[in-house]
Amino acid sequence: MAEIQLVHLSKVYGNDVTAVRDLNLEVAESEFMVLVGPSGCGKTTALRMIAGLEEITSGEIRIGGTVVNELAPRDRDIAMVFQNYALYPHKNVFENLAFGLRMRKVPKAEQKERVEEIARILGLGEMLHRRPAQLSGGQRQRVAMGRAIVREPKAFLMDEPLSNLDAKLRVQMRAEIARIQQALKVTTVYVTHDQVEAMTMGNRVAVMRDGVLQQVDTPQRLYDAPVNLFVASFVGSPPMNLFEAEVARGNGGLVCRVGDTELDLPPDVVAERPSLAEYVGRRVAVGIRPEDVREAAGWDGARLRGRILLVESLGSEQLVHIEIAAKPLERSDLVDTAAQPPGPSLGAGEFERSTTLLGRFDRHLLLAPDEAVEVAIDPRLLHFFDLETGVAISAVDVPAVAPVAG
Amino acid sequence: MSTVTPIAPTPVAAVAPRGRGRRRRARQLGWNVVGLVVLFVMVFPVYWMVATAFKPGQQILSYTPQWIPTDPTLSNFRDAVDQPFFWDAAKNSIIIVTAVVALSVVLAFLAALALAKFHFYGRKAFIVLILGVQMVPLAALIIPLYILMSRVGQVDKLSGVIAMYLTFVLPFTVWTMRGFLLGIPKELEEAAMVDGATRFGAFVRVLLPLVGPGLVATSIFAFIQAWNEFIIAYVFLHTPQKQTLMVWLASFTTLRGTEWGPLMAGATLCALPVVVFFLLVQRRIAFGLTAGAVRG
Repeated sequence: MAEIQLVHLSKVYGNDVTAVRDLNLEVAESEFMVLVGPSGCGKTTALRMIAGLEEITSGEIRIGGTVVNELAPRDRDIAMVFQNYALYPHKNVFENLAFGLRMRKVPKAEQKERVEEIARILGLGEMLHRRPAQLSGGQRQRVAMGRAIVREPKAFLMDEPLSNLDAKLRVQMRAEIARIQQALKVTTVYVTHDQVEAMTMGNRVAVMRDGVLQQVDTPQRLYDAPVNLFVASFVGSPPMNLFEAEVARGNGGLVCRVGDTELDLPPDVVAERPSLAEYVGRRVAVGIRPEDVREAAGWDGARLRGRILLVESLGSEQLVHIEIAAKPLERSDLVDTAAQPPGPSLGAGEFERSTTLLGRFDRHLLLAPDEAVEVAIDPRLLHFFDLETGVAISAVDVPAVAPVAG
Repeated sequence: MSTVTPIAPTPVAAVAPRGRGRRRRARQLGWNVVGLVVLFVMVFPVYWMVATAFKPGQQILSYTPQWIPTDPTLSNFRDAVDQPFFWDAAKNSIIIVTAVVALSVVLAFLAALALAKFHFYGRKAFIVLILGVQMVPLAALIIPLYILMSRVGQVDKLSGVIAMYLTFVLPFTVWTMRGFLLGIPKELEEAAMVDGATRFGAFVRVLLPLVGPGLVATSIFAFIQAWNEFIIAYVFLHTPQKQTLMVWLASFTTLRGTEWGPLMAGATLCALPVVVFFLLVQRRIAFGLTAGAVRG
């Protein structure tokens, strides 16, 4: 068990393709750290550099305080679970599990003992003499896990280990991996593109985009206080509603103008975000989580008027698409919103444009398409972002890891 | 011999065929006939060789062809084996073939490894070169090669012939091995390296067992090439004691005529090792070993 430190880590392919840019990340001892981001964001490259399978262009990797930049994978004492499992097809389950021990010259008797112990824990006891080809997907996944566990390494590295399983098995294995990690208390770096996996499994989650680390925090903090538009739109399912609004003075304080509706911003909201005052008279990006879009009955605060476009029943609740008068963010692809420089098309007619607001409502509410509705918006639950840089206009104590522009 | 495949009996549908079905069956029948003809053309010489080897002298040269040897005899085989230099030739052939197979498999594996798994300057050019040299006809190369080999004192030596055989066996074997190696996911050796193997250890413990079918395919090719080769052996090996079996076979045709019986018996004997070798190793080709390594 050991902590892993990445210090100014960069990876450049050829001369111009930067896969990872100046990555600084500290994974504490026995922590479960998830690297998450869309495909091509550099998360797998970072993981492979930790494993020693990819050369480091610049920067430093320390495992347990030792710089491992020049160490071969086998000397780093880490175990890796690959996306496609990479089981040795010519060896049976026992030999697959024992391979790492054999390479490390563990005595035969101990090899057998440890392999059988792990096989028992993972429910592979009956299959020790089967070849990988004779196993189901879930069983192969378990063998791949077992091969990592049996070595008792300093750290686990997992590269999307669940992405090849079907949905049901994935949920099951998700809990199993998290449980095993908690029991063994082995430092783990887990790579995934699935933000649900990231949120449910990680002690902390590191969000990456285009090789740049965006934010590292606990899942809850990531959800509650995203540092920029990218993180805001990436984390959460369904994603955060994002649209343009204007900050102005009025009613004795600041107001947020969405379409033609004015939402009063209570003094505490403004006090928490000192820089919001600088945005008076300017446009900002505003976000609200779908579960914070509430039914207006009994609410005496600000409301938004809209029209129901679609009702999706999920059984436990319903997702309601509501059309409101607000200017959508320039980029339709929300996850990449932050990449978009401010569009040149701001101008006349912008108020006529509408945005779809996604709301999560109680399943007992009777809602039908085309109905006019009013939804309650609690200004305390709004997220504000700079329209140009995408950076959150937020409480001072949230550390912004990297600016979005750049 | 893929042309033989259509011969497999086609199951006849129980339902009476309509017009289209009948036409399709007629076409199928046509292909089957073609297949049978090709099979006959391929198999008959082999049969005739074996049959002749067992016939006594007067049956071999009789004007009415004897399709089946009525009184089979082993005297031709005795005559063949008793010919001068048979045992020398057999020994030489075995030495050459063993050396060529062993060297080509080892060298091809290592060269293919470099081509498949490493990036180096000039890799593409090298691959093109390997393909290119196979296009040059052997007859065009034989004189320059002879001059080259005689300068380094390798004419009339088994080692010279081994080197010569390698020059035309290796390009093919390297190319084949490369294909097999490319089919193995790179995660397997990475997993081995993370598990504690050195790079070389990962090759030997993980890649080598997995390219088994590739090794078999290339070794069969090398074996057949080295065993059956005639021109180079004939040109390079002058002394009778140093000749290979194929050159020895040619000695049955003399100025006084050809001794067909012993020649066919000798030819049958020479064909046997290839068949035996193939039967020994062909099982390993049959199934892909990589099944189950990765999902998909």
